[in-house]
Amino acid sequence: MHSDIAGETRAEPGFVGRFLARIHLPLDDPFAVVGLIIYAIFIAMAIFADQLATHDPLEILFTSDYQLAADRRPGQDGFILGTTSLGRDIYSQLIYGSRSALLIGITAAFMVAVIGTVVGLLAGYFRGWIDIVLMRAADIAFGIPFLPFVIVLSAFLEPSIWNVVFAMAMILWRDTGRVIRSQVLTLRTRAYIDAARVAGSSDLKIVFRHIAPNILPLSFLYGTIAIGWAILTEAAISFLGFGDPETISWGYMLQDAYASQALSTGGYYWFVPPGICIVLVVVAGFFISRGYEEILFPKLKE
Amino acid sequence: MFRLMPTNPLAAYIDPTFTEEQQLALMAKFGLDRPLWEQYFIYLKNLLQGELGDSFFYRQPVGERVLELLPNTLILTFSSLIIAYAFGIIVGAWLAWKRDSIAERTAIPLVLTTRAMPEFWLGMLLLAVFSFSLGWFPAGGTRSPGSEYSGYFDLYTSRDFLVHLVLPAATLAIYSQGLPLLLMRSNMLEVMNEDFVTMARIKGLSNWTVVVRHAARNALLPVMTSFAIAVGYQIQGNVVVETVFSWPGLGRELVNAVSASDYPLAQGAFLMIAVVVVLMNLLADLLYNLLDPRVSHA
Amino acid sequence: MKKLLGIAALLAGVAIATQAFAAGDKIREITLTTRPQAAQPQEFQFVQLIAQEWRKLGLDVKVDVMPWEQMADLVWYNRDKWDTTGWQMVGRPERSDPDELIYNLFHSSTAPKGYNFIGYNNPELDATVEAQRMETDPAKRRELLHKAQSILAEDQPNLMLVHPKSTFAFDKNVWDPATVIDQGGIGIKNTWTFISMQPLGEQKDIILNSSDNIQAINPLFISGGTDSWITELVWDRLLRIGPDGLPQPWAAESYEWLDDKTIALTLRDGMKWHDGQPVTVDDVKFSFEAAMGDEAPMYKPFVGNIEAIETDGNKVTFKLKNATAAFLTASLSKLNIIPKHVWEPVLADLGTKDENAEDFQEPAPIGSGPYKFTSWTTNEEVVLTANEDHFSPPKADRWILRIVPNTEAAIGMLRSGEINFLADFSGDPKILLDLVEQDGDLEVVSTIDMGFRYVAFNHRRPPFNDPEFRKALSYAINRDLIVGAAFRGYAVKSNSVISPALGFWHNQDVNEFKTGADVAKSILENAGYTVDGGALHYPDGVKETLAQ
Repeated sequence: MHSDIAGETRAEPGFVGRFLARIHLPLDDPFAVVGLIIYAIFIAMAIFADQLATHDPLEILFTSDYQLAADRRPGQDGFILGTTSLGRDIYSQLIYGSRSALLIGITAAFMVAVIGTVVGLLAGYFRGWIDIVLMRAADIAFGIPFLPFVIVLSAFLEPSIWNVVFAMAMILWRDTGRVIRSQVLTLRTRAYIDAARVAGSSDLKIVFRHIAPNILPLSFLYGTIAIGWAILTEAAISFLGFGDPETISWGYMLQDAYASQALSTGGYYWFVPPGICIVLVVVAGFFISRGYEEILFPKLKE
Repeated sequence: MFRLMPTNPLAAYIDPTFTEEQQLALMAKFGLDRPLWEQYFIYLKNLLQGELGDSFFYRQPVGERVLELLPNTLILTFSSLIIAYAFGIIVGAWLAWKRDSIAERTAIPLVLTTRAMPEFWLGMLLLAVFSFSLGWFPAGGTRSPGSEYSGYFDLYTSRDFLVHLVLPAATLAIYSQGLPLLLMRSNMLEVMNEDFVTMARIKGLSNWTVVVRHAARNALLPVMTSFAIAVGYQIQGNVVVETVFSWPGLGRELVNAVSASDYPLAQGAFLMIAVVVVLMNLLADLLYNLLDPRVSHA
Repeated sequence: MKKLLGIAALLAGVAIATQAFAAGDKIREITLTTRPQAAQPQEFQFVQLIAQEWRKLGLDVKVDVMPWEQMADLVWYNRDKWDTTGWQMVGRPERSDPDELIYNLFHSSTAPKGYNFIGYNNPELDATVEAQRMETDPAKRRELLHKAQSILAEDQPNLMLVHPKSTFAFDKNVWDPATVIDQGGIGIKNTWTFISMQPLGEQKDIILNSSDNIQAINPLFISGGTDSWITELVWDRLLRIGPDGLPQPWAAESYEWLDDKTIALTLRDGMKWHDGQPVTVDDVKFSFEAAMGDEAPMYKPFVGNIEAIETDGNKVTFKLKNATAAFLTASLSKLNIIPKHVWEPVLADLGTKDENAEDFQEPAPIGSGPYKFTSWTTNEEVVLTANEDHFSPPKADRWILRIVPNTEAAIGMLRSGEINFLADFSGDPKILLDLVEQDGDLEVVSTIDMGFRYVAFNHRRPPFNDPEFRKALSYAINRDLIVGAAFRGYAVKSNSVISPALGFWHNQDVNEFKTGADVAKSILENAGYTVDGGALHYPDGVKETLAQ
């Protein structure tokens, strides 16, 4: 599932092949290709985390004479990126961090894209009261400040990385929903839709066979942006102390480094790598979405 | 909805000298001894009368505190956005003009990267470099220790304040310049293909004159309407930056209130942020209709 | 048929096996609660280490991480729902008298709702702590307190870990290090330092940091920890806890016990309120009566023992209901003296409303203390100015408290001079010492705290009602490992709630015991606990009643 969405080409025809064809992977855009490669690397990192990591990321490490192996510099005593001030291996945390990042990012993106697309399709195709209700709901969602909402939500629920996904599913469908609705509004006036209607196709069939495929790239565009949002939000929430204390994420690592005054002690090897990982994954999403923009709005490219 | 938070707000007050009598008195004082629906009903009633209630923690009216902190958050938001928009519009127009040059090819990924950085991470790095290492700017707060100002205007126009504003505003501006920049660039590209620009070119006007006189003016409108929406987005992002730079604003208040299970205050701060977001969305809609007669809302 | 027989044989075999190996039921999964690493790195760390050690004994241990509010709610308001939890008690000047901790934490009367949340109940301990409370002869009282500490060491109601060292720093180019006072069990951040600290150059303002916001500046409200730094400076008290931990005359120039229930104090001459009015014995009487009334509920427990207050000239006499040794520390050194002319109308007005004095914030608080209130900017800073007319005037000009939620920024500010006294530092003390090496201007002082860190056992839930079981779990933990791996050396091992910082009361004998998994295993074995298939079981005949 992960690899489908991120666009890793699997060579099986049939559904997956058709799907990939439909979403128009922007393979001719160099930026987008770079983005896809970055995704591929991090996905591989997440899948093979058990093999790549040298330690359990949460294990307290000791030296042979029972002293805490804390604040080791990169390379010292065989720790690739050194250890935290409480004796955890930074490199292994970085590797395992890719798992939660992708898990949060991809589920959040999936939720946002699916909910937004369905809302946009329904509102745009059926118009009338469905449209009114859904678009008022979107207006309300636009009025809810997102990050504060996640903070409040974390106070209700037990600290968990899923809070971010849940909050995004509840709020961020609004942008996708609106854009897709207006796209559907233009599509439904096209001649081939009328033709299908005249030929006696049911509404459902028209929506899913004729309209949905045409807006898939747009859903994907918003999905890729949502991946970045989710990862950045998780990092911000962790930084503010509302994060999940038992799941290693890059946000958790940054919070840990910050709370241990890694900047004052010159612990750049601790503070910088998780930040760079976040930037890379988020920027990869932007690159891919830019590729999509150029497919969708060819005027920009020209 | 805040009353559904899982913890007992009195947990924050635990002390060996805290007797059962006192606990009951406190519960009664904040109405926590009543059923939840009744508490909520009372809250709604008060809200309709413009009352946000009293903070559990500070024992003071929520409205007063929230209004006191709002100006600090607004000035940070607006000053950072003005910098971001000024920069974004100029550089965006320039990049559109320089389309396909090396400068443009390197600038775009760079801009995207600034938007991909966690704000607090960027803030901490700026703090480490410009405050801790170089000592150019103070590390936090809105004023020097012990300085006195007669009001917000007096404070906001002082040199002292501006020096304190630089780093937090820069952090937010670096983060938010991407939107106006990319928007300006793509609008420019669109406008530059339109007939009247081509006409101007044919008339023999120089490229840069065309850009500034004709294209930029037309491309600017949508960018300006995005400003109002950006305020809405920015004000929520302040939560993080205010914590990094010890900025006494609404976002930090919200975080503290949630940590202390101070529901009335958390609710008040959240509501105030939401009000700003809604007002700005409304303003954006109005501006959009006003500036662009082609759009009419269905 | 064959199949059936096989099953029957198997069942019989299982029955025999159970009988032969396990005498009692298997002990259920035990939870150990802690706060998140982000908020409490040391606690998080020692809890992980302790869980690892307990697992070696055959216990199934689950570490439950939750934020403070949730944990306090569980431990305090749901007293039968948790097994074990990391906990801490912080040092405060009034706790220099051991009564508050040893009585409130362990006396059975406070078990249902008070601070004995572990549900400890030992009549012998009850009698001993009651007796020490009445005993006004220090030597005899010490004997009783030593006995109480021995009883607790024997029972191990908690797994005591360490007394941390509190670490503060200041700029020694700005302040003369010789005039900084290290208060026993508290550290250099104390009222005495703020009064006596001598400026060396142009900078005469004490600028210090706090990561918490100011909740209130109110002499009748015990609010946040940082707030108490301010109240101690703005208001005077009859006595003050000295740097040695003992109460000494302050606003009262002397005191005298007339009998074991009557104490007379003489008020110092010439004291003035910050608004210029004189401080009188009427103000003193009013201050205590305000606490005895219903408008200042948090101070009420400290004056509950007062029967009557009489004034005569410049003398105040307190008549007590019961003789108590802790009255000087816990009452006379605790209550702020407030101006009657300010508070009388306020309290009269509050008496007619739902609110009490805790809800009232003076716009410009008036006290008589060594610093005067100047300004308070919400979530940013509080400024106090030296009171030149005070009998003990501060050497500094102003005392400025900056709210800095970002610890990293606080360190940066200390180095750049934006603050010159690091009064709130939750990080690793070693970082500060490294800074001293890079930056010669700083001086760092670490002091053994009277507060302590421990793991609490819930005596309401078996097997924690068994002292032998608790002892085994406690002795399984090597305290040196905790000091090194969780506190990085900035703590001393502890087996008593009375800190070695309170040298006079601390019982040194309780600190001698052997630790390690082997010690723990033999205690468990002698008490009848067995290990079967790697899992620890109750002694013969004991059932697990709390399994999920």
